[in-house]
Amino acid sequence: MAVTRFHAEIATAIGTGALGIAAVIGATELGLGWSESGPQPGYFPFYVGLILIAASLWNLASAFVKHRQATLDASNGAEAEEPFLDREKVQRLGGFLGAMLAFVVATLWLGIYIGAAGYIAYSAWRKGGYKLPLSLAIGLGFSVSLYVIFEVIFKIPLLKGPIENMLGIY
Amino acid sequence: MTKLTTALIAATAVMAAAPAMAQWEPNNRPVEFVVASGAGGGTDNFARTIQSVLSRDGIMDQSIVVLNKGGGSGAEAFLYAKQNKGDANKLIFGTNNVYLLPHVAKLAYTTDDLQPVAALALDEFLVWVKADSPYENITDLIEAAKAEPGQIVFGGSQSKDTDETLVALIEQTSGADFKYVPFNGGGEVGVQLAGGHVAANVNNPNENLGQWQAGAVRPLCVFAPERMAESEAISGDMGWQDIPTCKEAGLDIESYRMPRTVWVPADLPEEAVAYYRDALQKVSESEGWKDYLTRTSQSGAFLAGDELKAFIDENETSTVAVFKAEGWTGE
Amino acid sequence: MGNFDLLMHGFGIAITPMHLMLMVAGVLMGLIVGVLPGLGAPNGVSLLIPLTFALDPTSAIILLSSMYWGALFGGSTTSILFNIPGEPSSVATTFDGYPMAQKGESTRALTLAFMSAGIGALLGIIVITLLAGWASNFALKFGAPEYFAVYFLAFAAFIGMGSASPAKTLVSLATGLILSTVGMDTVTGEVRLTFGYDELLSGISFLVVVIGLFGIGELLSTVQEGLRFRGVSSRIDLRDVLRTIRELPRYWATTIRSGLIGIWMGITPGGPTAASFMSYGIARQASRKGQPFGTGRPEGIVAPETADHSAGTCAMLPMLALGVPSSATAAVMMGGLMIWGLTPGPMLFATKPDFVWGLIASMYISNIVGVILVLATVPMFAALLRIPFAIIGPMIVAICFVGAYTVSNSTFDLWLVLVFGLVGYMFNRLDYPLAPLVLAMVLGHKAENAFHQSMVLSDGSLGIFFSNTLVSSIMVLGLALLILPKMLQLGGRLRRKMPVE
Repeated sequence: MAVTRFHAEIATAIGTGALGIAAVIGATELGLGWSESGPQPGYFPFYVGLILIAASLWNLASAFVKHRQATLDASNGAEAEEPFLDREKVQRLGGFLGAMLAFVVATLWLGIYIGAAGYIAYSAWRKGGYKLPLSLAIGLGFSVSLYVIFEVIFKIPLLKGPIENMLGIY
Repeated sequence: MTKLTTALIAATAVMAAAPAMAQWEPNNRPVEFVVASGAGGGTDNFARTIQSVLSRDGIMDQSIVVLNKGGGSGAEAFLYAKQNKGDANKLIFGTNNVYLLPHVAKLAYTTDDLQPVAALALDEFLVWVKADSPYENITDLIEAAKAEPGQIVFGGSQSKDTDETLVALIEQTSGADFKYVPFNGGGEVGVQLAGGHVAANVNNPNENLGQWQAGAVRPLCVFAPERMAESEAISGDMGWQDIPTCKEAGLDIESYRMPRTVWVPADLPEEAVAYYRDALQKVSESEGWKDYLTRTSQSGAFLAGDELKAFIDENETSTVAVFKAEGWTGE
Repeated sequence: MGNFDLLMHGFGIAITPMHLMLMVAGVLMGLIVGVLPGLGAPNGVSLLIPLTFALDPTSAIILLSSMYWGALFGGSTTSILFNIPGEPSSVATTFDGYPMAQKGESTRALTLAFMSAGIGALLGIIVITLLAGWASNFALKFGAPEYFAVYFLAFAAFIGMGSASPAKTLVSLATGLILSTVGMDTVTGEVRLTFGYDELLSGISFLVVVIGLFGIGELLSTVQEGLRFRGVSSRIDLRDVLRTIRELPRYWATTIRSGLIGIWMGITPGGPTAASFMSYGIARQASRKGQPFGTGRPEGIVAPETADHSAGTCAMLPMLALGVPSSATAAVMMGGLMIWGLTPGPMLFATKPDFVWGLIASMYISNIVGVILVLATVPMFAALLRIPFAIIGPMIVAICFVGAYTVSNSTFDLWLVLVFGLVGYMFNRLDYPLAPLVLAMVLGHKAENAFHQSMVLSDGSLGIFFSNTLVSSIMVLGLALLILPKMLQLGGRLRRKMPVE
């Protein structure tokens, strides 16, 4: 599956527009007016939200205009619309994002150290083509250096999970 | 509120009767000091001073980690306590904001999500004006505000927090009408006053000390039942003890002070609370702590157990009365 | 000159083996926290405070301030090599630093950054040395309307002219403004736009957003192009360094202008991040010829770096002399001062000359130490680029998330990084400019607060922004910066069109 620039433009415009709508809705709970002591708390979020919605609509419209122009040109034999992501790129990005998402979920469940070690080991093993033991060593080495820098030197606790608890590392 | 409170009072009473209970100690994880202000704020200094005394005097062996959670006027720290219910390795450092914030903002915690351990100091509030201002005493200032309602500007730190409450209390007591402008912190308000951008402020001694030393601002009166502790001359030949109390200067507010408090999450075993209370009591008797009090011109006051409970109840009731009169308590 | 004698006295205090050692240690630790995104200078400095209980205040402040300088230097390294700003104030350095490194000139980019940072810092310190008393009196003149005018000026200088589509610039700007209003509002005490999420109560952290937009966003672009870094690794060659240093005098105008902007933003509490953006914006407007900014122009590195460091050093002055910190790090150091028993304020210069002048003298030395040390660490970072992407890519991801977590120990921020990573990638691909979003997040809420305070003071009259010479001249300057470039652009276009018609 490939994504065209047209799709991407539309998705982004809808996303930013949605943020604008959220801001407007959130602001209406706060008072939008201009009281004797200046703007009420919802004043700025409300109007900035409206501006955001308007600008997003503009982007949406111009995406459609460009798209129609491009389809016209294409039917006249000119070059087709540039693809935003071809199939190969979608796969690459999807794989990377998937691993990253798994890392975040693992971190929430098992803590940052185990999450990072697993994530790095997996990438080195599957994507980098390293042997499994070496990959694991790289992952563990990374987590140990994180531990030394953050917890030992700077005394900043990072997120820990059940395994550290079992091992008695705090 | 009721059930837990009664349980708490009962617990503290039992402990006061039998202090020699089995010695509880936190496990060997680091103890987290959760500070309800940003780094560098008054509460932050309070927590870090205790941290330094605890480790320097060997009162507590655990390593201590300080976490600043000052978001939402400190609400972030109290929500954190709620999320870590029953965790005995977390101490929360705040002021009276712990029990006052839920009255003025819709927040997802109540005071019952934390239990008080001790209050270690009371920070005083003073009315300050610019050195060359026409107001010689608090009555001048109030008369001026009555003559021109809503024109005399009071600067303060944050909105609906201790400073604005005090200004509202002055208005309710005297019938004067001031204009209150909130800034981000006491230091900033001090400079706004020295620069003449506001007419007066209600800073804590520490927040205006530098400007007073330089003769840029001067105090009118202090909101305490008696005058502050004797000190060396700070500005000209004036020291803290030379500042009249507001009551003797003719403003009928007996006392308005901010406690510096330490809390733990709810549902902790009573031995744990007792352990921290004893540790904090040792801190309050140490040299390092006395230094801190003198340096920041706060009054030392170790409150725990029933005494603390009574103080909090009294402080909460009287402050909420001011909130109600101002219409801040929401729906 | 009284100040000169005092400075010499200060050097006497600062140059002891013990203090030199503290400077080296501070700068090195600062480099580490500066390089790691999220673990920034304010964080690092507050962690060192317990260590300083055993030191006397002068040694303690030398250690802390050296760490600050180190962090400022370290932040630029990752901006240039990986497009990940290690410190908020080095965001603007990515705009031209990273493209230059991609062209294979990473040594040149790093040297330019470090040297101009050093020069900026020296300019700032010279101002502190000569004008301490005058500058702190000047800072007293700033009330709420003047603050707003300063923020407005910073906005105007940066936004004035951009190459991106106006609607997209507007989207980016508005998004940043909305994000900056989330959380509790200082002036009204209301909780805004949290939609019931407690995690949003303290607002959306600027650092978390920047880590997502730049760090993760850039990695996604890298991955899409194949699993390789687009930045070409290059060994640091001493000859390259020297050649770049010889090239520096060519940018004298940019350097002086940026230094002045930094000094201005450091004293009027605008802060180093705003200073670097403003300086970059003005450098872009001032340049006429050559390749456009954003493609690796040397001035695009010199301008933000010089301003960043001169603002960083000048931020020490309002902190010491007024007790008002104009950067987050200065706020933490001020907390330290109070713990050591020193009261910041106008009298500090008179009552503790050893402390103040020892610190000022140490600033000269530790910034020079900083430039040397940071140049020495470049080979190490350049070597990082030679590690295969399959290993270094996930490591950078992990560091980004760790960095975001340390900002406020909140797991919610991990999701935010993921979301803003995607936003950064999409914005990048679709030519939405990121800079307005970042600047709006830095200044948006501060500007709104100052505006609101002014309105309370004036009972809702906008006239307060033109009520005295100081505030009116800043406002007029801001308006001019906002409008003039557009007029010139328009005029230029008209003139070009005339002959055709």
